[in-house]
Amino acid sequence: MNNMPAILVLAPLLGAFFAGLAAWIQKQLSYYIALAAMAVSCFAAVSVLTDVITSGTMQYRMAGWAPPMGIELRIYLLNAMVLVLISAIAFVNLVASVKNVEQEISDRAPSFYVMYLLFVVGLLGVTATGDLFNLYVLIEITSLTSYTLIALGDKDRGHLAALNYVFIGVIGASFYLLGVGYLYITTGSLNMADVAVILKGIQGSSAVLTAFILCILGVWIKMALFPLHVWLPNAYTFAPVGFARVVAPLMTKVMVYVMVRLMVTVFGLEYIFETLHLADAVVWLAVTAILAGAFTALFQTDLKKMLAYIIVCEIGYMVGGAWLGNSLGMTGAILHILNDGLMTFALFLAVGNIIYMRKQVAFSNLSGLFAAMPWTMAGFVLAGLSIIGVPPTCGFFSKWYLVLGAFEAGAYHFAAALVISSLVCAVLFFKVFEICFFGSAPGAPGHHVPGNPQPSHDIHSAGHAWAKADSGAGAHSPAEVMAEAPVSMLAALGLVSVAIIAAGVYAGTIVNTIILPFLQ
Amino acid sequence: MKFFGFVIVCLTGGLLLYGTMDLPDWGDPGSPASTHLSDYYIEHIVEETQVPNLVTAVLADYRGYDTMFETAVVFCAGLACFLLLRDFRPGKDRYFRHVPTGVMLHFKNPDTRLVAGNEFEHMDKEWVPSDMIIKTVCRILIPFIQIYALYVVAHGDFSPGGGFQGGVIFGSSLILMAISYNLKTLVKRVTEKFLSIFAAAGVLIYVGIGVAAMLMGGHFLDYGMLAPLLPSDPGHIRALGMLGVEIGVGIAVMAVMVIIYINIVSEGRHDEGL
Repeated sequence: MNNMPAILVLAPLLGAFFAGLAAWIQKQLSYYIALAAMAVSCFAAVSVLTDVITSGTMQYRMAGWAPPMGIELRIYLLNAMVLVLISAIAFVNLVASVKNVEQEISDRAPSFYVMYLLFVVGLLGVTATGDLFNLYVLIEITSLTSYTLIALGDKDRGHLAALNYVFIGVIGASFYLLGVGYLYITTGSLNMADVAVILKGIQGSSAVLTAFILCILGVWIKMALFPLHVWLPNAYTFAPVGFARVVAPLMTKVMVYVMVRLMVTVFGLEYIFETLHLADAVVWLAVTAILAGAFTALFQTDLKKMLAYIIVCEIGYMVGGAWLGNSLGMTGAILHILNDGLMTFALFLAVGNIIYMRKQVAFSNLSGLFAAMPWTMAGFVLAGLSIIGVPPTCGFFSKWYLVLGAFEAGAYHFAAALVISSLVCAVLFFKVFEICFFGSAPGAPGHHVPGNPQPSHDIHSAGHAWAKADSGAGAHSPAEVMAEAPVSMLAALGLVSVAIIAAGVYAGTIVNTIILPFLQ
Repeated sequence: MKFFGFVIVCLTGGLLLYGTMDLPDWGDPGSPASTHLSDYYIEHIVEETQVPNLVTAVLADYRGYDTMFETAVVFCAGLACFLLLRDFRPGKDRYFRHVPTGVMLHFKNPDTRLVAGNEFEHMDKEWVPSDMIIKTVCRILIPFIQIYALYVVAHGDFSPGGGFQGGVIFGSSLILMAISYNLKTLVKRVTEKFLSIFAAAGVLIYVGIGVAAMLMGGHFLDYGMLAPLLPSDPGHIRALGMLGVEIGVGIAVMAVMVIIYINIVSEGRHDEGL
């Protein structure tokens, strides 16, 4: 029997409690335990993915009970891919963010790592489970931990952002739970596969329609689809960097996965696209989400907040793609879960590096970044190009599938929204690039220190120079003194940049081995 | 804005009403919820698990994986209170009472030290003399509440009860101590370290039992696999496994209740409060 599906969820769970206990012996220990737990989880996820690719869907019976009676984990190609994405991002972020955590919340770092692991447990559990109620319990864990960690962020505004998120998030979770309640009354089962079989016989039922709308609405609130997105920008902007880096790429993407999972494996695509007539309205909603996200991002003056609105825009891509009602659109949406996870992660890694060196990422603080942090900016530019959709980065390929899907479905407004938002993203990123490249720091241009590939030199004096520059009295401009982030952060960014290119180059392989077999 | 709110509420209400049209009748014995899985549980639970309380069996065995995460949710709540409220800065003002004379001393400078001992007693800002009747009654009640809590935990597989309820009752006995005496008395007896270790250890007992089953070659939480480890009737092994996880749940819930209480009443300072 293969215990890997259980291990990939349990490793971080056990790690969380051991990390909590170890903090009483030695504070540093909890970080290493967290790292080890995530490494084990990562390994298990990769092994599950290879198993699922070679031998098909995997089932794991919790406590040994057969599915409709007990809870099962059921791992299709789709979840296996998302599981690898989650565990890899959570692991890499743990390596990259250790210094940010020290800088921002040093006094309660061990508890931060415990919460972090529990958050990842929630995401992995949501993705692996094959049980509707278990999904709710794990959404509860992810939400509770993310409320807490967001409130740990910005001293002045973090709490309010978290409180907003609590109110809206709780409503979202209750909608989903209510939907599951309706499903249970009409089917008597909580197992997704079992429910799917029973639902085939009662498709006309009004209770099933209500259940479907409630579940999908709940998930939409959690993923911040446009009119329901108001909690997201502040929550992600004011979260501590170490957490923002993992919640921004993963939380919304996992919720998109949940939506796709509910659509494909519980309610069934025939029910959604042939019995119900909601698809056109949802695609229009996605179009508004894309345009609203993109244009609101234009008005932001803070890099983190701009990225948060770009996330709102990207959610529109995925929801729209999934609701186009053809295989191309669904392929694009699923591929975009992977790609957007990677791109957003790279962008937030870069932002975290900048925050580590400069404390703030308002546009006025960004001048001279290309000279000061060339490696970080290289990663940022690559991720930015990927968001815009420039080949060979991965962002291009998912957009390509989405556009093809839109044309096949005759949803020209969706294709137009994709193109317009790409142009807006281009404007956004080139605006940022311009500020970072040409925006000169106060004072006369100073001497140029040649780009030193060793980024770990003399951070403190450079930071000091910056403090002087901000006071506006520096005689030499420090803009061109290199003040790059520590190697661990750069290595993580480099790794993710390579992944962005690789996901682009191998997009065809991913679609053919993972997404298309899943959809059939 | 109010108008939009009204429209949305009406739409949601309409949807919920519309959804009830196809629901089975109230108490209908033929409805899916009472035929699909319930029959299986009612017919097989006693035979498969030897536990007479069906609710406990579904909760701690068939759906034990859910319950494990519910315990983790409780743990998260406690940790969240600690993370967000705990304030390690020393309090600005401190109050002492000179026991023989009853004179109250107020220290405004945090650096001034005074060792609380026989002569001086640490006291709270909103201090009122402890009422002898309340103190005595609570002192008598607390042990019985705790025994009852242990009974509720241990008897969960026979009668209504279990780890969550027992843990809450036990936690409330400790909170009663803090209310009837003062927070200091509680914090002195039940330290923060003790509570956090218990909170983590409680959930760890649950997960540990599951992992032990996995190491014995079964699925996660498959209590049946633990039979070789315990010198008991193998038929009762699932009931014993459930008792084990209920004890874990009880410990975690007890500790988290107290952590939440202490952090909220003392605004994270753990020195004085209700």
